[in-house]
Amino acid sequence: MIIPNGCSFDTVTVTATPSGAQRSSSEPLWRSLAVFRFVSVGYAALRLGTVDQSEYSRPDWAWAVIAVMAAWTVGTTIAYARPDRRTWPLLGADLVVTVGLLLSTALLQYPDATGHGALPVTAIWMAGPVLAWAVRYGRRMGTIAALIVAGCDFVLQRGAALNGAVLLLLAGWIVGHVARLAAEVATERQRVIEVEAASRERERLARDIHDSVLQVLALVQRRGAEAGGAAAELGRLAGQQEAALRALVGAGMGGAGLRKSDSAPDVAPGASGEVDLRQIIMSAQTDRVTVSVPAQAVLLDRTAAAELTAAMRAALDNVRRHCGEQTRAWVLVEDEPDQVRVTIRDDGQGIPDGRLAEAAAAGRLGVSHSIRGRLRDLGGSAIVSSVSGEGTEVELRLPRVSSIAVASAPRTA
Amino acid sequence: MSQHAPIRVMVVDDHPMWRDAVARDLAEAGYDVVATAADGAQALRVAGAARPDVVVLDLQLPDMSGVEVTRGLRAAHPGARVLVLSASGEQQDVLDAVKAGALGYLLKSAARPEFLDAVRRTADGDAVFTPGLAALVLGEFRRLAAAPAGAGGDAPRLSEREAEILRMVATGMSYKQIASRLVLSHRTVQNHVQNTLGKLQLHNRVELVRYAIEHGLAGEPEGGGRA
Repeated sequence: MIIPNGCSFDTVTVTATPSGAQRSSSEPLWRSLAVFRFVSVGYAALRLGTVDQSEYSRPDWAWAVIAVMAAWTVGTTIAYARPDRRTWPLLGADLVVTVGLLLSTALLQYPDATGHGALPVTAIWMAGPVLAWAVRYGRRMGTIAALIVAGCDFVLQRGAALNGAVLLLLAGWIVGHVARLAAEVATERQRVIEVEAASRERERLARDIHDSVLQVLALVQRRGAEAGGAAAELGRLAGQQEAALRALVGAGMGGAGLRKSDSAPDVAPGASGEVDLRQIIMSAQTDRVTVSVPAQAVLLDRTAAAELTAAMRAALDNVRRHCGEQTRAWVLVEDEPDQVRVTIRDDGQGIPDGRLAEAAAAGRLGVSHSIRGRLRDLGGSAIVSSVSGEGTEVELRLPRVSSIAVASAPRTA
Repeated sequence: MSQHAPIRVMVVDDHPMWRDAVARDLAEAGYDVVATAADGAQALRVAGAARPDVVVLDLQLPDMSGVEVTRGLRAAHPGARVLVLSASGEQQDVLDAVKAGALGYLLKSAARPEFLDAVRRTADGDAVFTPGLAALVLGEFRRLAAAPAGAGGDAPRLSEREAEILRMVATGMSYKQIASRLVLSHRTVQNHVQNTLGKLQLHNRVELVRYAIEHGLAGEPEGGGRA
């Protein structure tokens, strides 16, 4: 609610370039790729050492290939660690070296074994550059790299390894897709952060501006009243605008961004959800009407809040009609554990004893119908008390527990 | 305060036009404007040397919140009484400043006599309550009473009389009207209002000290409100 000065400076630092956002979004993928390469080298070595030894005509050279794979894994992991080194030459070299190592299998393995589905010496390690291409350039290039590697594998094994080729293609396509999604999400998130920072800054500016305008209006009001004559009229107008703007600022800042529709004083009946009664009632503030509320939000069912506000307005209208435009009035909102209480007091003449009952009997009591009726429908009560010469007090009480249930029940009154 | 010892006032406001107008009003009415400051840091620096009786403090300062300035002023120069003046009447800010030790609160749109009277009453150590502040204090006591018991069973409570009087202040009644309605003296009404503020400020200090102890920051009983 309150934006400390200086916050706006913090927000500037979060603005990064969109490409930076994309890069950083793919970092986890690059790290996973490095892990995959190391694990797959280990797997290839394990297979060569245990299962596949009988398939190789030149096991020594096969071990040499494993050593190159390990060296290349270390090299590429270091190279890929920095985003600015993830360029075409490196990714191309990665693919060429991998395909070369894959094809070396033809010289090391018994042709018989190769033709009957034995794993090449590189085993699943050959997926490394496919994944790198997919992460770096997206789904299309990932698929192309997969086609190259899978094609070589296919040729090498003379069609015996179709399963592996399909898996490789899928891996290239899916990882590319995920990389692009991650980049899109990161860009979107970046945009949201920027919009948020901008709106926060705007809010802060608006606050400063409102504050300055309020100061000037308050000053004009004060000086105008002292100068008298035409200036007094100006002062009075400034006072009206000051009160109106203050009510607006008070209502807008209270829950800025939480519930946007709250600031509208006319709440559509029947709309669901809870609203902060303070924000609606604050709109009644003028230079003659002082509205006082607690610091905490007073949450009420939307319909109940609208009815309560309407009852309060009826009471204020009554003050204006019967006591004159110049009569001052005060509205107090209280949030008690079991009820919400809105008190409207004026400093008018008050109602002489018996007049209220008299008027009610004559059937011309706006107070009775619009205020008492509304409150009764909500399950609450309205108490009008007056001391002759000391103004009138209208107290609207709305019980908390049953208010929602009663409000939604059909009206029988 | 008597005529031969004019009340010393310091005006803290970042709005030059307003600051000058307030200072001029005070000077014309016979108050001694000993210092003015445009932001919180300057106010805290100057307050010790200027030794004001009353600090007229705008809540919207560019560098510090009103609470920080109030707390800082109370620590740096305990003799100074703080009267908060604000344009927008931001409720939580006002409440926090009062809990931190401000003695009163007035909207900037208050008429000049009302303002001058408020400064005099603040200098006398009397709380200056607007209906708005009374509603905030009422609300704060209700919030504390409703707070979960984990915060301690020592939440301050209003007596029935205090609540009754605060509600009257909040609906715009003057102390005089309240006194005649309740058949009390003006002074008694003033004392009741003052007590409510005292309870809140005491509770606030206790909470600050408890926080300091729980977080290993315990030192002076002011709870670390150093300038």
